[in-house]
Amino acid sequence: MGPISGPPAPSGPNDVLRLLDPRIRGSVDRRGWTILSDAQEQAIPLLLEGKHLILIAPTGTGKTESAMLPVFHQLLREDGRGFRALYVTPLRSLNRDILARMEWWCGVLGLRAGVRHGDTPQSERRKQVLHPPDLLITTPESLQALFMGKRLRKHLAGVRHVIVDEIHELAGSKRGAQLSVALERLTRYAGEFQRVGLSATVGNPQEIARFLCSDRPCSVVEIPVTPFLEIGVRYAGEEFRGQARAVGDCLDRFPSSLVFVNTRVTAEALGHQLFERGDVEVHHGSLSKEVRIDAEERFKRGEIRALIATSSMELGIDIGHVEHVIQFGSPREVARLVQRVGRAGHRLHAVSRGTIIATGFDDLLEALVITRMAKANQVEDVVPHRNAADVLANQVAALAVEYGEITRAQVRGILERTSCFAGTGSLLDDVIAQMASHRLIRVEGDLIIRTLRARKYLAGNLSMIHDERKIGVFDIVSRRYVATLDESFVVGWVHTGAVFIAKGQLWRVLEISAERLVVEPAKRVEGEIPSWEGEQIPVPLAVAREVGALRRTRRFGDYPADPGGIAYAGQFLSRMDRIEAPIPHDLRVTVEGSDEGVVVNLCAGHKANEAIARALSVLLSARYGTTVGIEVGAYRFLLRLPTTIGVLEVKDLLVSLDPSHLEGILSLALKRTALFKWKLVQVAKKFGAIDPDADYERFSLHRLIDLFEGTVIAREAYRELFTDYMDVEGAAGVLRDLQGGGVEVVTARLSPLGSEGIFSSRDLIPPPVPDQAVLGTLRNRLEKEEVILCCLHCHQWKSRVPVARVEERPQCPKCSARLIAALKPWEEDLCAIPRKKQKTEEEKAIHARMRKNANIVLSSGRKAVIALAAKGVGPEAASRILATMTEGDAFYREILKAERNYVRTHRFWQ
Amino acid sequence: MHLGFLDRWPAVVVEGSQRALVIADLHFGIESDLAAHGVHIPSQSRARLERVKECIRAAEADLLVLLGDVKHQVPGTSRQEFREIPHIFQELREMVDLRVAPGNHDGGIGRFLKDGELLPVRGALIDGIGYLHGHTYPAPDLPGHPLVIGHHHPMVSLRDEVGCALRTAALLLAPASTPCLRQGDGGEAPATKVLVMPAFNELSGIDLLELRARNLGPLSRCMDFDAAEVYLTDGTYLGTAGSLRPE
Repeated sequence: MGPISGPPAPSGPNDVLRLLDPRIRGSVDRRGWTILSDAQEQAIPLLLEGKHLILIAPTGTGKTESAMLPVFHQLLREDGRGFRALYVTPLRSLNRDILARMEWWCGVLGLRAGVRHGDTPQSERRKQVLHPPDLLITTPESLQALFMGKRLRKHLAGVRHVIVDEIHELAGSKRGAQLSVALERLTRYAGEFQRVGLSATVGNPQEIARFLCSDRPCSVVEIPVTPFLEIGVRYAGEEFRGQARAVGDCLDRFPSSLVFVNTRVTAEALGHQLFERGDVEVHHGSLSKEVRIDAEERFKRGEIRALIATSSMELGIDIGHVEHVIQFGSPREVARLVQRVGRAGHRLHAVSRGTIIATGFDDLLEALVITRMAKANQVEDVVPHRNAADVLANQVAALAVEYGEITRAQVRGILERTSCFAGTGSLLDDVIAQMASHRLIRVEGDLIIRTLRARKYLAGNLSMIHDERKIGVFDIVSRRYVATLDESFVVGWVHTGAVFIAKGQLWRVLEISAERLVVEPAKRVEGEIPSWEGEQIPVPLAVAREVGALRRTRRFGDYPADPGGIAYAGQFLSRMDRIEAPIPHDLRVTVEGSDEGVVVNLCAGHKANEAIARALSVLLSARYGTTVGIEVGAYRFLLRLPTTIGVLEVKDLLVSLDPSHLEGILSLALKRTALFKWKLVQVAKKFGAIDPDADYERFSLHRLIDLFEGTVIAREAYRELFTDYMDVEGAAGVLRDLQGGGVEVVTARLSPLGSEGIFSSRDLIPPPVPDQAVLGTLRNRLEKEEVILCCLHCHQWKSRVPVARVEERPQCPKCSARLIAALKPWEEDLCAIPRKKQKTEEEKAIHARMRKNANIVLSSGRKAVIALAAKGVGPEAASRILATMTEGDAFYREILKAERNYVRTHRFWQ
Repeated sequence: MHLGFLDRWPAVVVEGSQRALVIADLHFGIESDLAAHGVHIPSQSRARLERVKECIRAAEADLLVLLGDVKHQVPGTSRQEFREIPHIFQELREMVDLRVAPGNHDGGIGRFLKDGELLPVRGALIDGIGYLHGHTYPAPDLPGHPLVIGHHHPMVSLRDEVGCALRTAALLLAPASTPCLRQGDGGEAPATKVLVMPAFNELSGIDLLELRARNLGPLSRCMDFDAAEVYLTDGTYLGTAGSLRPE
C-alpha cells in the first residue's frame, strides 16, 4: 500500500485543541497560543489517530509542537516502560530552544525527557540506562549506539513513537539510509511504532514519505511556504568591499537579520569587513562551541543585530524571530533559498523577507532564476541513495555486533524492508564476502558472526559522515605552514614530485608523512593537482538552462532584479556584442580557445558539465596520448590541453560523442583520477578496509587503490560519484540537443563570459598510454645532448654544442662547407683522425664511418643531428630512422625504437 | 653478457652461460604489516607468485636470483610468512634453480632454503656479475665487476605538457666509486656499474626525487644518483636521473 497524501478538512482550531488531553490544553493556554497554525490544525488529528505522517511546513509555524503535542497526548494515555518516544535530529549542535521547549512540556505534564548525543557526559548516559526517560532526544549516530547495549535494547522495546526532524536533509544522504535501517532494527524490539517526519519544502514529498515508512501507508501534510516569501535580488558590484557595504545597508533596515554565506572563508572575510559596526557576529562549525553559543545568545537578546552563518543546520537556536534573511551570493538551489528565507518571520502568516546579494554576472542571473522558481514553488526533488554498499556494510557490521551472530536471511529481512535497500539482491552477498575478506565479520554457512575488529570498526564508524583529518602543508623554504588539505585527498592523489596550487602559489611535494606534507615553491606549472572547495552545492540543470535562456532573451525585467542589476546585466552582454563574441546560452554552446586550453561554455549545471567534461577528457587523452586537465563549473568547463589540441578538435568530439556510450566512457574516465581515488578511500574506510587511524606513510597508497579495483568497494565509489557528482542522463540529453541541431555549437576566441569562470572542481585525466610524456622526455633530452661537430672538408673546425643550438643545415664557419660529422662527446678525439696523412686500418675504417655520418647530416640537416645524438645510434641506425621519412611525433617514435633496440642488443655493462 | 628486459615486468634476464632471471624486493607478507597499520586487504601472495612464475616462463630462465627482501616482516617472521614462504620457495624450486641474496627484511630466511640456495649477505659473483640486496657493502671481491642490487625500489614520474601522465617502476644504471665500495681501500679504479632493480612488489616504490635524500645504506652512499641512467621496464631510456629532475 502506498502513502496517502492530503490533510483532512480541519474542523476549526478549537475543535482540534479539544481533541487533546486537558493537561495539554491547559498548557497551551499558558504558552500564550490562542490560535493554532495550519500545520498544527491539520497534523494533530491525523497523529492522534496513530497514523504515520510527513509534515512539511516552514519553521516558526509550530512544526515541532504539531508533532509533539499528539505524542505527549498518547504518552499520557499509554502505559509503558523504557524509552517511549524517540526524537531524532540530524543537527550537529542540538537545537537548544527546541530542547528547552520539550523539557518544559515534559515538566508540566509529568513526563521525563533526556538528551543523548556525542557530547552527553557519561554520568548522564548511565542515568538514562537506569531510569530511562519517556522521551529521548538523540542523533542518528547515537541511535546506532543504542543497539549496542543490552539494557538499552530492553528500553528500546518500549518505543511507540519516533519523530525524525529535518528529514529532508537525511532522506538524500547516506546518513539517512543508515537511519532507515536503524528504524527497521528497532521494530524487532518495539514492534511497529508511529513514524513522524518533519520536513522543509521539497519537490517530491512522496519520496520523503516512502523514505520514512517504506511500504507502510503514510499521510502527507504540506503547508505551502511560498505564498509568504518576499525575496528580492540586489546586484552589489564585483568588488568585495562594495558587496560587504550592500550587506551593511540591508542590515540597517531591520532590527534582526541572518546573513548566509556559502563558505567559511567568506564568512570570516565578511565578518572582518563588517566588524567596525559592532553589531555583527560570525557563526560557523570551525568556531568553538562556547564562541558559537555566546553569539547565539547575544543575538537572541538583541545585543547584536546579525549573525553571519554558513549553515542553518549548525545554528543551535530557534531563529523564528529573525526579521530578514540575507543570502550572500546565489543560493545555488531553490530548496536552499526557500529553507533559509523561510526561517525569517516569527508570526503566523507573516511574510518572510529575504534579499540575495548577487556578486557577479553568473551569480546575478542565477539568483534571479532561483528566486523566480522559489516563488513558483519549483523546488528540487530529494534523491535518496539506493543500495549504497558502504551503508550496507556498516549495518551488517552493526547487526553482527548487536546480535553476536545472525543469519543472512534475517539480515536481508531487515534491510530489504527499508525503501533504500528494497530489492538489494546479490549486492548484500557481495558486501558480506568483502567484509569477510577484511575480517570484519566471520561467515559460517548461513551465519554472520561478529569479530573483534567489528567492535573497533563500529566505535570509529558509528556515523556515515566522513571524518576528514586535515593535513598541514609545510613550506621548507619559508619554514611555515601555508595551507591544509583533506587527508583522503592527500592519500588518494598526492605523491612526491606532484605540483599543486594553494594560496595562489605553486608548490611541489617533497615528502609525505602522516602529520604533514613538506613542499617547496615550484617555479613552473607542470600540471595542477585537482582540488575541491569542500563540498559545494551543485547548480541544477534546470536552473542553469533557464540562466542560459535569460542570457538569450535578456528579459531581466521579468525577474525581481533591482535597477542596478538590470543595467549591469545588460551592459555585460552589450560588451560581448561589441567585440562580436557569440553569447553562449541555452540554444548555443561556444567553444573558446585560450592559452591554458579550451573553454566550453555550456549552461547545463555542475553535474551534467562534470559528466561531459570527463567524457571529453578521457577521449582526448586516449586519442592524443596526453594528460588532460579539467576544471568544471555550472556554465562552463575548461579543458587543459597541450597547445597542439585546439577548439576544432574539441568541437568535433563534442558533436560526435554518442550519448548512449556516455556511461561506459565515464567509468573509464574516472579511473586513475583524483576524484575517484578520493572517493575510493572514503568508501574503503566505511567498509572497514582502512582504519580511521591508519598510517599511510609506509606504503604507496596509489598502488593500494588498484587492489580495490573490481571489488564492491570500487563499485560503490563509482555509484556514489555517478549519483552525487555527475548527471549522466542530463548530460546525454544535452548531447542529443547538440547533435539534433536544436542547439548550435560555435568556436570563438576566449570571451569575457568564458573567462568569468570560477571553477569548483579540478582534476587531471592521465592518458592510457603515456605517449606524449615519453616523447616529450625524449625530445627534451635530445635537445640537451651535446654533440661534437667536426668539418670533414677543411678538417680545421670542431665545436661542442648542445643539439638545441645546432642550425637547420650545419655549416663550417671556416670553410663554409656542409660536410659536418656529428659525433658523441666521447668521440671528440676522433676529429683528429681524418686529417692524418698516414692512417692505420682501424683509422681508415673510422674515417669511413665519419664520412658516412657527415653525408647523412648533409642530406638531412638538423634531423640527422638529432637522430645521431640518440643513445646507441650511429650512422647505420640513423640512416634507417631517416629513411622512414617521418616527421614530428612519428620521427621521435622511430628514434625511441632504435634506442630500445640498442639497449636490448648491446652488451649492457660495457 | 647480455641483458634482457621483460617489458611489463620489473625483472631482467642476464644472459651469460645460463639465463638468470633477476627479481628484487618481493616483500611477501607485506599485508600483515599493512593490517597492523590500519589497512586491511587479503593476502596478494598467490597473485604475486603467479606473476613471478610468468616471468620465469617468459624469460625461459635456468636460474632465478632473488635480490633480497623476499619476505617483509622485520624483525622475525610473521604468521603469514611462516604459512606462505615455504610453499612459495617450493613452487619456484620446481621450475628453476633458486638463489637468494638476503636483504634487511630477510632475517631467518635460511631456514626455508635448501643447501646452496642462500647467498652471503654481502653478495656473490655468478658468471662475473655481483648479486646482492644492496643494504650492505659488497663482498671484497665484488667491486670492479658489474653489480645488480635491489633495496631502493626506484620509481619515476613522467610528465607531459599538462600534467603527470605516469608513475612507474624504473631501473637505474648508476656509476659507483670503486674505492668507496672497497670501504676506502685507496687507489684509482674505474667506476663500478651498479644496476638498481625496481621492487617487484606492487605496493612498493620510492620516487627518484626522494632516493637521493634517503639514507639507504653504505652502498647507496657510494653511488652517483645524478649520473644514473634511468630505464623503463621495457628498455626505454629516459635520460640521467639528474636531467629528469624538474627545474
